Amino acid sequence: MLFNTIDFVLFLPLVIILYYMIPHKYRWIMLLVASYYFYMSWKVEYVFLIVLSTLIDYISGIQMAKLPDKKSRRPWLILSLLTNLGLLFAFKYFNFVGANVNLLFQNFNIFHEVPLMNVLLPVGISFYTFQTLSYSIDVYYGKQKAEKHLGYFALYVSFFPQLVAGPIERFSRLTPQLKEKHNFSYANLANGLRLILYGLFIKMVIADNLSGIVDQVYTAPEKFASSDILTALIFYSFQIYSDFYGYSVIAIGSALIMGIHIMDNFKTPYLAKNISEFWQRWHISLSTWFRDYLYFPLGGNRVAKQRWILNILAVFIISGFWHGANWTFIIWGSLFGVIYLIEYLINKSFSLSKEYKAYSFGHLFLALKTFVLVTLIWVFFRSQSFNEAIDMFALLFNVNRVTEATLVIPLSTWIFLIVFVVSDILLYNTRFDTWIGRFPMLFRWTMYSILIFSIIAFAGVENFPFIYFQF
Amino acid sequence: METAKKILSRVLLLSVLLVGMNYLYKAFFLEKDIQKYSDVINLVRAIPNDADIVYIGESSNITFRSDDLDKRPISAFIADHYPNLKVYDITKPASHAGIYKVLLENIPDSSNVSTVIVTLNLRSFNAQWIHSKLETALQKSLVLLKPNPPLYNRFLLSFKAYDIKSDKERDRQVQREWEKEEFDVPFDFQFSNVEEWDNYVAKEGVNNPDGSRNQELTELACHYIKGYAFQIDTVNNPRIKDFNRIIQLTKERGWNLVFNLLAENTERAKELVGDDLLYFIQGNRELLIGYYTHKGITVVDNVDDVENDLFVDQNWTTEHYAEKGRKTIAGNVADSLKKYYPDHYVDIDYKTFVQTVFFNDCDQRTIWGQMQTITDEEAYSGKSSSKTGKGNDYSITFEYPLKIIPDSLKNEISIHMKVYRNSLSDNGKLVIQAQGEHTDYYWNGFELKEQVRKANSWEDYHYTFSIPDNIKQADLIKIYVYNPSGENVFVDDFHIEFE
Repeated sequence: MLFNTIDFVLFLPLVIILYYMIPHKYRWIMLLVASYYFYMSWKVEYVFLIVLSTLIDYISGIQMAKLPDKKSRRPWLILSLLTNLGLLFAFKYFNFVGANVNLLFQNFNIFHEVPLMNVLLPVGISFYTFQTLSYSIDVYYGKQKAEKHLGYFALYVSFFPQLVAGPIERFSRLTPQLKEKHNFSYANLANGLRLILYGLFIKMVIADNLSGIVDQVYTAPEKFASSDILTALIFYSFQIYSDFYGYSVIAIGSALIMGIHIMDNFKTPYLAKNISEFWQRWHISLSTWFRDYLYFPLGGNRVAKQRWILNILAVFIISGFWHGANWTFIIWGSLFGVIYLIEYLINKSFSLSKEYKAYSFGHLFLALKTFVLVTLIWVFFRSQSFNEAIDMFALLFNVNRVTEATLVIPLSTWIFLIVFVVSDILLYNTRFDTWIGRFPMLFRWTMYSILIFSIIAFAGVENFPFIYFQF
Repeated sequence: METAKKILSRVLLLSVLLVGMNYLYKAFFLEKDIQKYSDVINLVRAIPNDADIVYIGESSNITFRSDDLDKRPISAFIADHYPNLKVYDITKPASHAGIYKVLLENIPDSSNVSTVIVTLNLRSFNAQWIHSKLETALQKSLVLLKPNPPLYNRFLLSFKAYDIKSDKERDRQVQREWEKEEFDVPFDFQFSNVEEWDNYVAKEGVNNPDGSRNQELTELACHYIKGYAFQIDTVNNPRIKDFNRIIQLTKERGWNLVFNLLAENTERAKELVGDDLLYFIQGNRELLIGYYTHKGITVVDNVDDVENDLFVDQNWTTEHYAEKGRKTIAGNVADSLKKYYPDHYVDIDYKTFVQTVFFNDCDQRTIWGQMQTITDEEAYSGKSSSKTGKGNDYSITFEYPLKIIPDSLKNEISIHMKVYRNSLSDNGKLVIQAQGEHTDYYWNGFELKEQVRKANSWEDYHYTFSIPDNIKQADLIKIYVYNPSGENVFVDDFHIEFE
């Protein structure tokens, strides 16, 4: 069930009404049933994967809590890691590894083929496996008490607003909120609806209208002039941002109506002054996950310089691979790692780590530099193959070509894109619900009317699923 | 209580705003969206208010064979039998009763239509068609046409409130039905569902006379099994529901309703698969005829009326007929209409009947030569015209075997058309060209600018051409606009009459 479908428009109010009608002690049952129903609307069978992951991590957690030290807990942690990463490997990476092994065999004239699987990638598997893994690792390190209530634990793993595309929540943040009794609050309702409205606007009006234009160019880039390719690359930067940001905002808004605060996942990333700051503002829940569960265990920056460089590269490469089983994602992650390190060295060598005032010339110049770099790196993220990405760059810089097609961009798309950029600048370091809440009712309702009308009358109508659902 | 009041007041405010937005949307955005997402409505809008009969169908109406002399649709052949009535068609390829119903609902109340002929395609009841990959696009095209407030329809479109599924999901639905739907036959039959039957034939194969496997025929036999081996369930089949809604609609609108049950290639079905498959075809045929006749609907039964040779597609299951097949079906339908229009019926013997009036509005309903010149850049009527110029020298081209028209009916050709010139510097011509084995080659061009003296507006062009005796027996006459200049000339509503 996608957030931008009539199914969710009917599903969410029903869940919220039931949530506040049902006595607190039974709410978890209703939320769990709703979450599983939400997930099963894609493919019923795949709910068993969540159930399996939930049961293994629940049992591992209980068992680890009984044991005195890390050494004795380790087998249970390994069971949890093997189960979750095994599921991820089987459904997401097996075919990639198999295809590459087959290629390798071919090159060495070995006549053996690893059979590939014909399975659909379960929606959100990368998100919920990482969410539940964070719990197991925390219990292993003794940072988190094991959850004894299977129902609440299952709800932590499957809570529907953030189940399929995050934000990836920590057990210590989400579960206490799920257990806490929340009375109906008008403020939460208003703020939640504001966020949902804004999220739908940026997904359906911005992302989905840009998507059609970007797809045209990526389908046959050779037909378009360099200027059109450049436009498509810039549009893709905004498409993926508004698509994923939109999803996160709707998720946060949906949970907020039930009194549950989910972490922010984006903070105006395209105003970041460097790649390091970009990753503190983009997909924050994933960045912090990798920081806490990969970068720190690898030693973080408390290691020798060469090792630190390797740590940084490892985190970015694995983060790239997390996004998709394709070399393009590995290159995408690697490029971020390399540029991160280059920026670090330049800043350190020339003492450039000066703090700029927001919107100062220095800030905007550096933000533009970051935006250009990120836009170019996105080419690997969007392309289906390494060669396709390289062709894109070749066509971008080959300006003297005969072209067959011209990119036609409706005026409304430009207007909405400008509105989005302006709104994003206005929301620097704040959130839409807080921002709009400061204004008098007349202004607020004028804004709501514009958003509602835009969502209904200008939404892209092709079936554009959220980009991050495929991860 | 305070909170409840607060919420209620917001809900009321929102309702008022939505009503206002609806008017705003209807006034400024609706038509643009309709043209973008639901231009199928133009087929309905093209039907004039004084139409008497509307024929609605899919590609079976308009598909012809390249060697057909008369390439007109079934609906035009029906019109031949009722020269005093105005017969129009709504033809939407790959459509079905669910689509027809929405289109028919959009015929305005002020219309003079008294009879609706609806195509009843047997295969449209099968799993492949019900779960066709084209369905998502078709369903999407109907959302804005539903009888709801426009803004609500746009909301449904934006939030994907229609039958939207991926190609993979559609394939899975079809596969599930082939495996799940058990045959119910009163005789011993070794297969319990389509899947088993199809697998068996695919494995055993259809053999050549020498006993070797004929892969092409094997695949075709499997197509026939998948296309026809089903039994219509009048309770659950969605097509039945759609046709029932059409019955309801025609009752409400006071229209006569005729279901045109199309011909199937039963000859080929028997040859490739055998009597077992015919049992399913005939069973479904009888069921549909009985079911709808019982409801008081006229059902024209064409199922066995077109022989194998007259099916255009010999390597696929379609209801596309060559000229004679289309005429046969049209004749059956025309016959059934006698009870509604007894005084208007004209018996036509196509062996002696010769068409002398031809019209093409460039909206793809009538197929002439050079259809690639059709463009929606300009149009006098409908949405399209034929564009010449800038390397596109020839407009849509009328082609006809002049020799089959009796001499008494071919003294002159009266040609009318609408012409739109981008500038007055072109040298476009109306060309009449004739050729034949026993006749001289003839070519003559007539300057458009002699009559069309304004640029950037649609102007009338009329020319009466006296047919020289030496070309009257020409195998082929061609009439078109020739424009070798770099300026655009558009042509629309091409009307040709032999007198």
